[in-house]
Amino acid sequence: MFYNSFDAWWWPFVFITLAGVLPTMVWRWAGALLVGNLDEDSQGLLFVRCLATSLVAAVIAQFVFYPNGALSEIPMLVRASAALFGFAVFLRSGQKLIWGILSAEAVLFLGVMLTSL
Amino acid sequence: MPQQQNSSSVYDWSWFARGAVNLFSLPALILLSAFISLGGLAREAGLSLGELLFMVPLIWALPSHLILVAGIVAQAPLPAIALAVGLASIRMMPMTMALVPVIKVEGSRSWHMLLASSLVSITAWVHTLAKAPNIPRRGRLPYFLGFAMTMMVVTTITSGIVYQLAATFPPLFMAGLYFLTPVYFACSIWKTSKVKAEYLALGLGFILGPIAALYFPQASILIGGVLGGCLAFLFHFVVSKPGKANVL
Repeated sequence: MFYNSFDAWWWPFVFITLAGVLPTMVWRWAGALLVGNLDEDSQGLLFVRCLATSLVAAVIAQFVFYPNGALSEIPMLVRASAALFGFAVFLRSGQKLIWGILSAEAVLFLGVMLTSL
Repeated sequence: MPQQQNSSSVYDWSWFARGAVNLFSLPALILLSAFISLGGLAREAGLSLGELLFMVPLIWALPSHLILVAGIVAQAPLPAIALAVGLASIRMMPMTMALVPVIKVEGSRSWHMLLASSLVSITAWVHTLAKAPNIPRRGRLPYFLGFAMTMMVVTTITSGIVYQLAATFPPLFMAGLYFLTPVYFACSIWKTSKVKAEYLALGLGFILGPIAALYFPQASILIGGVLGGCLAFLFHFVVSKPGKANVL
């Protein structure tokens, strides 16, 4: 079964539901149903938070190291330095998000300019 | 229904609007920028406008969107795309499990949590966890819904407008927009973390994810992420006294 399998108007919607919506949504519902009576300060919740945080961090790394689209045209070294520099500025600036983001963007553009000279 | 007690009264709905006005905040702008790129991507992939408007709010997870669109472009079979999307979305389960105890109140029904969980995404999750300590418990679920629903409507409309205009931006501009997301996620999660193990989990996931990608390119997020999370918790368990959160 492929995206182009049927020529009916409804097929792409069924395809998107089966290939994209349900495989994403079931995990949210599973989480809501399985959480039980986890306490806000319990060890179990800390474990769950560690798992969630680490999984999201792996997603972040994916954006930096294996991106798709326009970002993949930019050299990996530039992407990695921009991300690390931005994060360092964020930490040094007393955890101001905006400084981290602006400095990461600055290094990204600077790096692209330097590497395309 | 035997008892017609108004279950919505357990929440303080005045917080819904306060969540919604975050439309003009940093996380909202960053999320918008990501969906600008998605609108363009969907058009290039040959999806119809209706399909895009269907997919954005119902999937509501940028990595899943990107995998689905890439799969459609590559003409991959349905089960293969569903598997890739499913593997990349497992994080939604621990994310939801971490959010529910924070937004739940006495009198919350499980369908409230099911409904709220449908709106979990990294941005809304981080944002709500960060703000929750300053929100009375009864206002947290409304705040989360207000934020997430507004984001959903605005990003869907924005991606549709980008699609419709066939707006073409210089690649460097698009790359810059796209790059906002990972930096924002990393900084805001760091800021929200309270316990040493969470900082460690962030660092380990960031390092182990790409390493896992060398060996398991299809499941790197899952393998690197789960390994990083387990190691971080193990560290916490060994270093700190059990039963006591090791606060930094």
